[in-house]
Amino acid sequence: MEREPAPPLTGTALTARNLVKRFGDLTAVDDVSFQIRPGETYGLLGPNGAGKTTIISMVAGLFPPDSGSVDVTDIRMGPSSLGAKRHIGLVPQELAIYPDLTAEENLNFFGRLQGLRRKDLKSRVALVLDLLGLGERAREQTKKYSGGMKRRLNIGVGLLHRPLLLILDEPTVGVDPQSRNSILEAVAQLSTEGTAVLYTTHYMEEAERLCDRIAILDQGKVQAEGTRDELITLTGGVDRINLIGTGRMVAAAESLRTVPGVQQVSGGGLSGLTLTVTDGPALLASIITNAATAGMAVTSVELTRPDLESVFLHLTGKALRD
Amino acid sequence: MRALVTMVGNDFRQRLRDKTVLIFSLLVPLALMGVLSLTFGRLGNDSVELQPATVVAASEDNGQLGSILLDSLDSLETMDVSIHRVPAEEVSPETRNGGAALGIMIPEDFTTAVTSGEETTIRLIEGNGSPLETSVLISVVTGIVDQFSAGSVTAIAGRIAGLSPEQAAETGRTSAAGPPQLALAEGFAPAEQLSLRASLVAGQTGLFLLFTVGFGVLGLLTEREQGTLARIRSTTAPSWTVVTAKAVVGFLLGVVASAVLLTSGSFLFGVNFGSPLIVALLVTGVSAAATSLTFIVARLVRTAEQANVAQSILAMVLGIAGGAFFPIQSSGFMAAIMDLNPVGAFIRGLGISAGGGGIAEIGAPLAVMWGFAVVCTLASRFLPDRGAAA
Repeated sequence: MEREPAPPLTGTALTARNLVKRFGDLTAVDDVSFQIRPGETYGLLGPNGAGKTTIISMVAGLFPPDSGSVDVTDIRMGPSSLGAKRHIGLVPQELAIYPDLTAEENLNFFGRLQGLRRKDLKSRVALVLDLLGLGERAREQTKKYSGGMKRRLNIGVGLLHRPLLLILDEPTVGVDPQSRNSILEAVAQLSTEGTAVLYTTHYMEEAERLCDRIAILDQGKVQAEGTRDELITLTGGVDRINLIGTGRMVAAAESLRTVPGVQQVSGGGLSGLTLTVTDGPALLASIITNAATAGMAVTSVELTRPDLESVFLHLTGKALRD
Repeated sequence: MRALVTMVGNDFRQRLRDKTVLIFSLLVPLALMGVLSLTFGRLGNDSVELQPATVVAASEDNGQLGSILLDSLDSLETMDVSIHRVPAEEVSPETRNGGAALGIMIPEDFTTAVTSGEETTIRLIEGNGSPLETSVLISVVTGIVDQFSAGSVTAIAGRIAGLSPEQAAETGRTSAAGPPQLALAEGFAPAEQLSLRASLVAGQTGLFLLFTVGFGVLGLLTEREQGTLARIRSTTAPSWTVVTAKAVVGFLLGVVASAVLLTSGSFLFGVNFGSPLIVALLVTGVSAAATSLTFIVARLVRTAEQANVAQSILAMVLGIAGGAFFPIQSSGFMAAIMDLNPVGAFIRGLGISAGGGGIAEIGAPLAVMWGFAVVCTLASRFLPDRGAAA
């Protein structure tokens, strides 16, 4: 990607301090703080409804927090903070583009709103269209585009004006694997060129692949924050075993909780049982035997070494996609 | 300002491209006007073609006035009249049985009586077949007789003033049969009444204006649903420019659509609304009022679909109450409320303009429209934004 590097920053690209946002009785975001450095990709990982989009909205200045603050570089962000907004590029979860306009017209429109002037705008639009692989269909109305093309344009609008902080809200939802891969590569490339990236997702694989640091969110709160490896250590290095089967699932769960090395047993319905254990390979035979003794006919066993899914399960007691 | 211009331009580009505005703001009302023009084509034409009529007459007058009266009927320009002279006793049966429009019997001493100021009577018998033509003929006879009466009064006045009988009679004859001393010329007054056709054009323009301006501010809801509003608000465009741009687009669409509808409607229906400057002021006022209404709707609804329904209901209520399809009469408190309807004020203003009224005369309708715009705009500031809360 031919892209001018972002101006070097000495401090942080983004500082969010003690953010709180309530909607009526619901506390959507509860005392969330984090920082992002230039060139760093920071992930907000959590299930739907965890508060990721609300955090993003406050960071992008769409609405103010009830308490707490957001600073982009050293400029306080708010709905009327045009100075701070100059440095961010927002890629909303929805396809925030005009279907009746062409890709070129969409880019021109949002580029002008971000303050790009004629000559610079023209060159930036051409560059982004080329980057997105949309150059040949730049003058076609976007309603005729495939889903993947629309997604790519959606991202292109966000990075058109070379923002210091790129905010991506679940950018790969509903995207085919090929487009998804190209989006992830583009984000990684931007990061290496100095752009700070705030990336929300409920896909554990994306967070692991892209993010330098990750905050695990649940019910509006940061449950844990750190690098992937730091987060994994929170589980105590435990493995995860999924048992699928029929029969007396509840009795089996009760029995498995007494097995030495088994830390947690969840599930028990038709989907089977999920166990967190200290040394999965060593305990596997014992676990299957105990389950069978308790009346469960095991039909499938899956052993997973620690990952962010395990961390989430460990921290919240539920699976990331529950 | 640059952001405002950019957003207005972007909205216009989209509105023109999706053709919805073109269809609902111009083609549909023009088609409706065309249909109504065909349906009510002859109404409000200000001219009625009168059928040929026969007058059965018996004149026993030995002077000039009886002949003058019958000659006047015979030479009417607006109607082909045949005078059928018969003896006095046959006037009544001939009129009733022969299909004549009017029977008239002039007495023997008619001219003498008129010129000397004495009482005399002309008998009229209405025919059976042509009530309209009969009424016209009676009106003409009444008019002539009134002039004769004026001659009679003049003769009496002359005698009282001491003129000789001959001089008084001559003065009476001159007054009764001479050229009129006063002449009437047809002109226009700044009345609020439009012809039926002009009302139709003005009313349909006002009605569809309420739909047209909806493409402006209510577009905010569409932007909110498709996510582009959030993206715009994350840019360096000041927040006031977003709503202002939508309002400007709605207002300009309203002005252009109204101007096109009034112009094309005028050609279709052959009506004239008067000074273009006055009409432009009225169009500006009603567009501002209609645009302000969309601020209220945009606040109260959650989705673009709800907005369309609400806007349609308001448009129909205000349009019908304002006289978009037919004049609405009311009195008392209701009349005061109805007078605040911007569509009604627009139609009244066009009536004044069509009657030759100037800027001073349209002050009241303009005040209603701009007052409505100010009140709605201010009121919308205090309403909760249900769409944003959704």
